[in-house]
Amino acid sequence: MLRYILSFLRIIATKMLQLLSSRKHLIENVLRIYIKTTSGSTLSIEIDPKYDIKQIKNLVASKIGAQPEELKIIFAGKELGDNIIIEECDLGQQSILHAVKIKRNVPTDQSSSKMKPLCEILDDEMFSSNITNSRSNSFSTDNEVINISNSVMLENSTIRSKKIHFYVYCPTCKDLKQGKLRVRCHFCKSGAFTVHADPQNWIHVLEPKQITGTCENNPELCKDILQNKEPTFAEFYFKCSEHISLGETDQAVPLDLIRPNLKQIQCMACLDTSDTIFAFPCPDDHVMCLDCFKQYCLTKLTERQFWQHPEYGYTLACPTGCPDSFIKEIHHFRLLDDENYNRYHHFAAEEFVLQSNGLLCPQPGCGMGILAEPECTRISCQNCKYVFCRHCRQGFHIGECDVVENNDTAGQNFSCESDMNYNNGNSGELASRTTIKIMTKPCPSCKTPTERDGGCMHMICTRAGCKFHWCWVCQTEWTTECMGDHWFG
Amino acid sequence: MANIAAQRIKREFKEVIKSEEVAKCAIKLELVDNNYTELKGEIAGPPDTPYEGGNFVLEIKVPETYPFNPPKVRFITKIWHPNISSVTGAICLDILKDQWAAAMTLRTVLLSLQALLSAAEPDDPQDAVVARQYKENLDMFKLTARHWTNAYAGGPSVNSECDDKIKRLVDMGIEEHQARVALSSYNWDLERATEQLFS
Repeated sequence: MLRYILSFLRIIATKMLQLLSSRKHLIENVLRIYIKTTSGSTLSIEIDPKYDIKQIKNLVASKIGAQPEELKIIFAGKELGDNIIIEECDLGQQSILHAVKIKRNVPTDQSSSKMKPLCEILDDEMFSSNITNSRSNSFSTDNEVINISNSVMLENSTIRSKKIHFYVYCPTCKDLKQGKLRVRCHFCKSGAFTVHADPQNWIHVLEPKQITGTCENNPELCKDILQNKEPTFAEFYFKCSEHISLGETDQAVPLDLIRPNLKQIQCMACLDTSDTIFAFPCPDDHVMCLDCFKQYCLTKLTERQFWQHPEYGYTLACPTGCPDSFIKEIHHFRLLDDENYNRYHHFAAEEFVLQSNGLLCPQPGCGMGILAEPECTRISCQNCKYVFCRHCRQGFHIGECDVVENNDTAGQNFSCESDMNYNNGNSGELASRTTIKIMTKPCPSCKTPTERDGGCMHMICTRAGCKFHWCWVCQTEWTTECMGDHWFG
Repeated sequence: MANIAAQRIKREFKEVIKSEEVAKCAIKLELVDNNYTELKGEIAGPPDTPYEGGNFVLEIKVPETYPFNPPKVRFITKIWHPNISSVTGAICLDILKDQWAAAMTLRTVLLSLQALLSAAEPDDPQDAVVARQYKENLDMFKLTARHWTNAYAGGPSVNSECDDKIKRLVDMGIEEHQARVALSSYNWDLERATEQLFS
């Protein structure tokens, strides 16, 4: 009897679940979007993704008291033609469309590719070349602006059908995600903006003032600001495709070097061919799969082989040593996990201090960056109050530094990888400090503790920013005397 | 993650096995363990060098961070060469140090080492004694290198004069390799070698 009741209950439960899930399915098919009008009001409407723009116009027109023919619908820098289906437009939940009232009723050519959504026009092919390769061109033609006469390109692009893939780091999802390209006015930041030409490559998208357009929000205002001295420019930005838009300020960082593997190039590290790759900014098409790229970053981070680039920051170059192949967008290192991304920041800050001729407090667990006058030998840490000698990093003393190994454990152990694991009061700390003291000698130039695990006495500082050649025996610069005298000890 | 190294070595291993150099017996590669972290390489001494006819065995250790860091390679077969330590077999070759690039492979390493045997770089030596001999007395260097190739790498060229001198030291109770090192270092001057060994 009990079993009967149970099975009955189970049937009811499954029925209810089915009912629920079918209803959920229905809800999922409704797209809630916002329509911004030039008067500044925002309408919230629920639509079926199968609707076309004509239907949207009808819907909006009735709500704002206008004729559907008077409206144009703008999305991502493009006016959308009447026959465009919402589904094709790369819209997400709570995306914003812009409705603009046309002053003079000029009949528009609805068949033109100009009326297609941006996502239908762009394809991966256009964005597969490296920004750095072509950058030199872009600088030389700085004032040359893509304008409407560039329509040949537009015609060509209609033939292609493959959808574009952009990758972004999304600060909301805290992960690598697919991104969507959006357009707004460079000056008033309004999305009611149409481009005169479509972007054709990464430079158009990433560099400012590459493509002109018309601001529909308040054309007079934008013209006034500029006093017609230069045209109105489009500004491109990215949104994450994978979460519901949190409004106009919800942006994602484009990771332009992560791309679909169109040419099916092998990963230079594991030799696999994967669908998504990291393409180094070098002319030789050196690519890595994302797993190997993460491993590459981790390896170089642990070995302190990142470079402090004067313009880009703490970064890496192509591992085959291609010239000028530094990674410009350092958010690519967001592919590291949180712990290592924090280490990245930590090391970058240290490297910055060292390159500015600063010092790092040698006290374990401190590592505070200190900028002191070059002639000042008595260095005092503001953070932990430790007072030490600039030259030997021991507690401050008067007179010559004691370079002979001693048992004073208040020694130097900064900028070693293991210092991330230090905890104040940890009993292992003293042991680590002692180990570092016994096993290492400081680089005579930058004082980085260095371990010699075999080979000759000729040391090259492992810190990428230093690379000082020194002698393990003399603890001074490597000379031919060292070579003749005690090369192998 | 760490198996990027293993996966890569697996592929490189196949590449070497199929390569024309293996077919010509110029290089050889064997696995030492089955997790691809240690391998044994072999290169043939290049023709028209004192190493001709010899086979030189290499120890290849693959770090976990391979291919972002170079493999650790040293000669197991004792060799007389300015860029290779006659004591430890350590190699001074830029591509095994800071000039390593992730696109290089075990095959390129083996071929580069073979090239190093053909063209020494005495200005960037690993073995100061050998380098000095190479620069000051090239004929003596060639003779010594040829003798070592015969003694350790199975080279064909027998130099009975060298063998005799070694035998005399061995008869005095000196270990054979030690005797060879002393004689080689003193340009086969038996008197000076003896003096150094017994001082």
